[in-house]
Amino acid sequence: MANFQFRTDPLSGLKIEKSSENLIKWNVIAALATLAVGGLMALLVALTRWPSVHLLGATNYYRFLTLHGIDALLAWIIFFEVALVHFTSTVLLGTRSYVPWLGWLAFALMLIGGGVINVIVLLGGADVMFTSYVPLKADPIYYLGVILFAVGALLGFIIFFINVTLSKRDGGYKRSLPLGSFGMAAGSIIAVLTLAHGAAIFIPTLLWALNIIGYVDPAAYRLVFWGLGHPSQQINVSAMVAVWYMTAAFVVGSKPVNEKLSRTAFVLYILFINVASEHHLLVDPVLSTWHKIVNTSYMMHLAVLASMIHAFAIPASIEVALRRQGFTRGLFEWLKKAPWGNPAFSGIAISILLFGFLGGITGVIFGTEQFNIIRHNTWAITGHFHGTVVAGTTIAFMGFTYLLIPYIFKREIIWKGFATIQPYLYGVGVATLSIGMMSAGQFGVPRRHYDITFSGAPFSFTFDPAIDMFMSMMGVGGVLAAIGGVLYILISFGSIIFGKKIGD
Amino acid sequence: MPAHDHRNEMEAPGVFVLALIFLAVFVVIWFAHLKWLMDVWGVQ
Repeated sequence: MANFQFRTDPLSGLKIEKSSENLIKWNVIAALATLAVGGLMALLVALTRWPSVHLLGATNYYRFLTLHGIDALLAWIIFFEVALVHFTSTVLLGTRSYVPWLGWLAFALMLIGGGVINVIVLLGGADVMFTSYVPLKADPIYYLGVILFAVGALLGFIIFFINVTLSKRDGGYKRSLPLGSFGMAAGSIIAVLTLAHGAAIFIPTLLWALNIIGYVDPAAYRLVFWGLGHPSQQINVSAMVAVWYMTAAFVVGSKPVNEKLSRTAFVLYILFINVASEHHLLVDPVLSTWHKIVNTSYMMHLAVLASMIHAFAIPASIEVALRRQGFTRGLFEWLKKAPWGNPAFSGIAISILLFGFLGGITGVIFGTEQFNIIRHNTWAITGHFHGTVVAGTTIAFMGFTYLLIPYIFKREIIWKGFATIQPYLYGVGVATLSIGMMSAGQFGVPRRHYDITFSGAPFSFTFDPAIDMFMSMMGVGGVLAAIGGVLYILISFGSIIFGKKIGD
Repeated sequence: MPAHDHRNEMEAPGVFVLALIFLAVFVVIWFAHLKWLMDVWGVQ
């Protein structure tokens, strides 16, 4: 160990090794940069679907929607998760990065792949949207970019297993992994499975785009693609919950109320959450009704049970910790005196609340076969996943950034007043956007569609006039969220570059 | 005097009560939403 440079962080007491620190830093920086692009695309898309604004032309709308999906759903979140992989498999265990070269290789592949996708989409070579369903055909370079990014991400998650195995050998941790690392272990297991599906479908699609093979079956594509598309959201859930536990521990010193129960809940994710993917295939004729009902009406609830356990275990652990600090008066003194001005804490509080009430509940309802048939491909689905991935995962990651900047970048947060309001502003914006989308979706407004007046179509169709209000609500929410997002990017980059240095 | 036995005390009573409040609010919202959906979809 003598050859490795360790420092002890004065704020958290964490033992941090140099190469691990650099890997976390650069993955976070890449995540911030991709969120900036993905967020800008989100604003332009929202301003186009807002009927009274309708900003972009059709071509740019679909182009920017594709890029929004790639940068905001894939790149920002996975770069941040790879940073979490390094954090939870080294810093949290007090050990070093055992394979920093592999970390840099993974980072380079993700950066090159992500860059290639951004360029080819902006050049107009891949207006196929995030799902790129065949027979929509993009430039082969697009599929190559996706494969490079996915291979990089796969290596990034494999590093987790290498680090924790070798750390155990060296006595980095004695019995089981700490809960934050355990959560990322669950996420990394799901990630390997997920990214294998990505390779299984994007490699043949690349060969098809190159005219080397003649045909990719659309039903097979959808089946295997959703082995990538939805389970990758389950990596996000596991990582988000790991962030909830870690932030609660760092900010208020909470310990899990029942660690075995929390660990069991993570195992439930690994075993059952992937079957939730089947709701993408509920209107496909390939699978039997029996299969669809068993997966979406029974198995799915075992994964939901896991989220329910976490959603109560974490606030309970926070209450226990704050009561130990002396906030014992009445039922809710601890809640009143909780550090609401700390954006890391408010970030996870908002994330837990919105993920549960907006993303979670709607996920259970929309994912059930009997209900799904009514909402399938409506904007209600988009509202659901903005409740999970944005109001849940993104806000949790934003909150954790306010811890990583002092702990890892050794910088103080600038604009503390703005940082305090940022999670609230972003949370209110995303919640408004999500509720607007879901409500309009209930009236049958389709997802993704550029022109729901269907001008020039052979059949005329008009929606209930109430949708204008809900679509405008989405627009207002989108603008609020964009302001919150810009604040987050400015505060994060500003702190990394101009923040006051924190001494070792 | 024997020490007070804390084993049967609830560790997080606030979260327990919050969970009950959320449950009640959820049930109200759920049924209001259901009624609204029945109107939207024209369910008789």
